[in-house]
Amino acid sequence: MTSYLTQRALGTIPVLLLISLVVFLLIHAAPGDPTLMLLGEETNAAEVAKAKARWGLDRPLPIQYLRFITSAVTGDFGKSFKYAEPVSSVIKTRLPATIELAIVSIIIATLLAIPLGVWAGSKPNSWIDNLGTSFGLFGISMPSFWLGIMLILVLAGILNILPTSGRSTYGVAGPEITGFYLLDSIMQKNSQAAWDALTHIFMPALALGMNMLGILMRVTRSAVLEVMNEEYVVAARAKGLAEKNVVWRHVTSNALIPVITVVGLELGTLLSGSIIVETVFAWPGSGSLLITALNARDYPLVTGLVMTYTVAFVIINLIIDGLYAVVDPRIRY
Amino acid sequence: MNRYLSRHIAAGLAGLFLLASAASHVAAQTRVSIGVTETIETHNPYGDSVSLLYGIWSEITGPFCTYNYEKGDFEGRLADRWKVQNPTTWLFYLNQNYKFNDGTPVTSDDVVHSMMTRVINDPQSKQKASVAGPIVKAEAVDKYTVKFTTDQPAAPLLGFVCDRLIVTSKAAYDKYGKEAADKEHMMGGGPYRLKDLIPGQRMVIAKRPDHPEAKKNPDAPDEVVYRVMRETEQRVAALLNGEIQIAQFIPPHLRQRVEKSPNLKIVGTDSVEIMFLAMQPKPPFDKKEVRQAVCHAINRDQIISTLLEGFASRLDGPIGPGQYGYDPNLKPKMNYDPEKSKKLLAQAGYPNGVDVQLQTPVGRYTLDKQLTEAMIPMLNAAGFRARLLTPEWPTLWANVQKGTVPFYYMGRGSVQDPSAALHQYFYTGETPRIGYSNPKLDSLLDKEQAEFDPKKRKQYLSQAMSILTEDAPACFLWRHKLLWGLNNRVDYKPLPDAHIFAMDIKTK
Repeated sequence: MTSYLTQRALGTIPVLLLISLVVFLLIHAAPGDPTLMLLGEETNAAEVAKAKARWGLDRPLPIQYLRFITSAVTGDFGKSFKYAEPVSSVIKTRLPATIELAIVSIIIATLLAIPLGVWAGSKPNSWIDNLGTSFGLFGISMPSFWLGIMLILVLAGILNILPTSGRSTYGVAGPEITGFYLLDSIMQKNSQAAWDALTHIFMPALALGMNMLGILMRVTRSAVLEVMNEEYVVAARAKGLAEKNVVWRHVTSNALIPVITVVGLELGTLLSGSIIVETVFAWPGSGSLLITALNARDYPLVTGLVMTYTVAFVIINLIIDGLYAVVDPRIRY
Repeated sequence: MNRYLSRHIAAGLAGLFLLASAASHVAAQTRVSIGVTETIETHNPYGDSVSLLYGIWSEITGPFCTYNYEKGDFEGRLADRWKVQNPTTWLFYLNQNYKFNDGTPVTSDDVVHSMMTRVINDPQSKQKASVAGPIVKAEAVDKYTVKFTTDQPAAPLLGFVCDRLIVTSKAAYDKYGKEAADKEHMMGGGPYRLKDLIPGQRMVIAKRPDHPEAKKNPDAPDEVVYRVMRETEQRVAALLNGEIQIAQFIPPHLRQRVEKSPNLKIVGTDSVEIMFLAMQPKPPFDKKEVRQAVCHAINRDQIISTLLEGFASRLDGPIGPGQYGYDPNLKPKMNYDPEKSKKLLAQAGYPNGVDVQLQTPVGRYTLDKQLTEAMIPMLNAAGFRARLLTPEWPTLWANVQKGTVPFYYMGRGSVQDPSAALHQYFYTGETPRIGYSNPKLDSLLDKEQAEFDPKKRKQYLSQAMSILTEDAPACFLWRHKLLWGLNNRVDYKPLPDAHIFAMDIKTK
């Protein structure tokens, strides 16, 4: 398996190079000029020219790309125009918030979707199945920005049971250790901070994970439906096993392989979905950072963020490939 | 024995009283959270040029001087007073009671360091044009006197430095270096100190009770938390559930939701941001009649009373009441008159109408898209064949700055004194945003900038604004009334420039 994964990892190099080129060209082709966006309303032509020279924007595009890519291979994406700090350190400060949000979204989505899907698939055409299928459809169809605003209106505005936005209440959390607020508060044994972090993350994680929940639920349902008619399931029943055992031990474990594939694919969607959700919930992660960077036409930061997302997507897929072998011992690379 | 006992009882009671007062003092710590619309993205006080941050940083480090909207004039703070030594030299005398967090006095060396090293010469500064403006040199005359030299006579200089110049400690910069000084050792001479800053999330400032300004305002909150909340719904929900006590910019259509709550209220103020339709003098707008026809076609009163629910004040010239140089008798007035528009279009050689494309930002200004959508049928009824375009802001703004957008809806903020804005949009060659040129107007703007007698300066400004209204390179529309949501336990009068000074907040 190691050689297979190494092969796969090497195969991603041209993909990353191509993506870097496409992103670099697209962001430079987009209308708008970082100097005009960042130097303030009262700037003048001389200041604009100076900034262009400082940021290397006065050089031909191929030279700019070559400079970018030669630095990028060492993990240096240059300095952000807006923050005047290395892109990698700007991203580093924001990434834990996005990863934490994505992890909680996956947990919510899988914890709800798999039981719902198994339940619906094991009782086809029952009211449970219809309810589960409708719920799945709801999750798939609901735009995350709209759902986010509705959640804020209802859970924060009307019911007043959750905070509207942000990652924590000022003064509650202890000092940052890992940047993951939930983990930090658990490490510090600060239950108040852990509860505060949970209440802050719940709504954005639900809004972000709803689409994944819908898809996972439907995939699980169809996988269960397929497995339910397999001969070994009939045999298990014939042996007199209780239906509960048949479904959860024999059916579910075999239906999980396509579900894992979909989780892997959906993780990428989750990362891109975080861009919208983070903006709606004022979540200070890399998604909202990307919006700020795009609005400022901060070329190095936009490229750095997209490359980070791409690498994350590639790594997730490699992990998923590895997980197949764990879930299904018959699979060998 | 009785005396002994009563003495002890009295001493015990006194002790209890002291303890109680100490406890009540601790309990009296007040915190106000404010939902703000701008992002707070960097520890570098000079790394952004937005109204909100000028206000917050000024509170931490000064302010240098401030504009008093009630008096309609600038007044001293860190710079106690000032004097125009000659048309290109200003002397600022510092208040000797201003001290940094570490107790060292704020001196002219700090002001010179802030202006020269941080604002003018630091490539990471985003404030050179808006804060230094015409200033080319800052020098320390003595420990508490600073000299600013400008490249040309600059009567409106205070408009650049007041509420904008952030004065940080030179000693901290020299000792810790720029980044560490900003991130870990922020020294300010203002009534608040920086307590916490999480980029993209919040900024917290804490009162310095020993500061001269804090002593004058004992009801000002002990801590203020500025929370980034860009979505309107978010700010309203947070205000309703008590997460925040002040919400910036409530759009008119959400006002009632706030007002329905018995714990909340809405307060409003006329913004100093002027909204206008800009027209580049290229066909068909190269003809004055066409530009005037646009101005007569827009029914500003109807838009204000319907879409804006009355929360805007009509402009009959570039500026309105409360702004420096406002002239209530300014002529001509471009009243709504679609028939006149048609006649003007015919005079300009377009008897059968003319195609125009109006461009607007979306979501940048209050109801920008809806307001411009309402203008389209008005323009069409007056003989134009108008279409609305809604490019994303970075694209529109870049094109406006390059001078490639012929007809657009725009706002210009921070217009306390209109000089900078008039130069920026209408002075020949200053920027290509409109590309307008009129030697008579240029001459008047030169004169007003070099005139230090306020009365004469206002006359020049009035004449210049009259020419602009008549020649119509832009139709001046309105100033929005900015609505703020407030919890009843807080008193605050919002400022027209959207600066938020914690010292102006009173907690009950």
